[in-house]
Amino acid sequence: MSAPPPVRMKICMAGEATVGKTSLIRRSVLDEYDDRYIATLGTKITKKVMSVQDPKGAGLLAVHAILWDIMGTPTLRDLLKEAYYHGAEGIFAVADHTRKETLAALDAWARSIRSVAGDIPTLGMVNKQDLDPDPRFAAGEIEAFFEKRGWPWLYTSAKTGERVEDVFRSLGSAILSRAGVA
Amino acid sequence: MTAFMQPDTAVIVRQRLLENAQDVDALFVLAALNARDGLVAEGITVLDHVLMLDPAYPGAWRFKATLHRMRGENEAGQSAWDRAEDLEP
Repeated sequence: MSAPPPVRMKICMAGEATVGKTSLIRRSVLDEYDDRYIATLGTKITKKVMSVQDPKGAGLLAVHAILWDIMGTPTLRDLLKEAYYHGAEGIFAVADHTRKETLAALDAWARSIRSVAGDIPTLGMVNKQDLDPDPRFAAGEIEAFFEKRGWPWLYTSAKTGERVEDVFRSLGSAILSRAGVA
Repeated sequence: MTAFMQPDTAVIVRQRLLENAQDVDALFVLAALNARDGLVAEGITVLDHVLMLDPAYPGAWRFKATLHRMRGENEAGQSAWDRAEDLEP
């Protein structure tokens, strides 16, 4: 018996400019990191092939995640929402550990995506964990933010690779569970 | 602490187009900047150029549909949407 075809899923990277969306994809797909900042214009699409635990069984499922790395320009967000978010099945909501304002900004990004794609699984990433945090964060503030919204989340570092694979597999699994594919 | 400066998208677009006038990413965003600033017809013209350079540019057909609908051109909007469905079902 042949293996089932890979499950395709569209995932959007959301968040303000320079939070590290492109670097997270680069780390996840190529296992590389580059300190130079090159602003994303428009969107870049990358396919990530991964194996995700079948939420209903013991085996692994082949997943082809189509990652839409979308520029973090809030003033163009709603104008481009149909172009970018149509058919999205999951959201990575990415904030920057060194800039407090990038956390609150996730609400507007998620709202815009969900206005097009519906109530799809959302996973938070607080990136740049390798750097010192923004001192304006109050104790427990990040945890409370995600808990209030019911979004699972993790600290990540595209630079060191810490927990990057975990977040991709976790969101992949959440999407499979919601879709009832497994 | 040094204040963080958000990159200015319009400036980046101009720089990229000075380096390469056919940069499809920069042209796509230029179309969006035009539309945001109320120049929807100009945005469509730029977007048509993007689609001539790369007929499968991600999101471009759906964005074209959005812009046509903003101008009340529903038939053109539906046509662009249908093209998008063929490319990105």
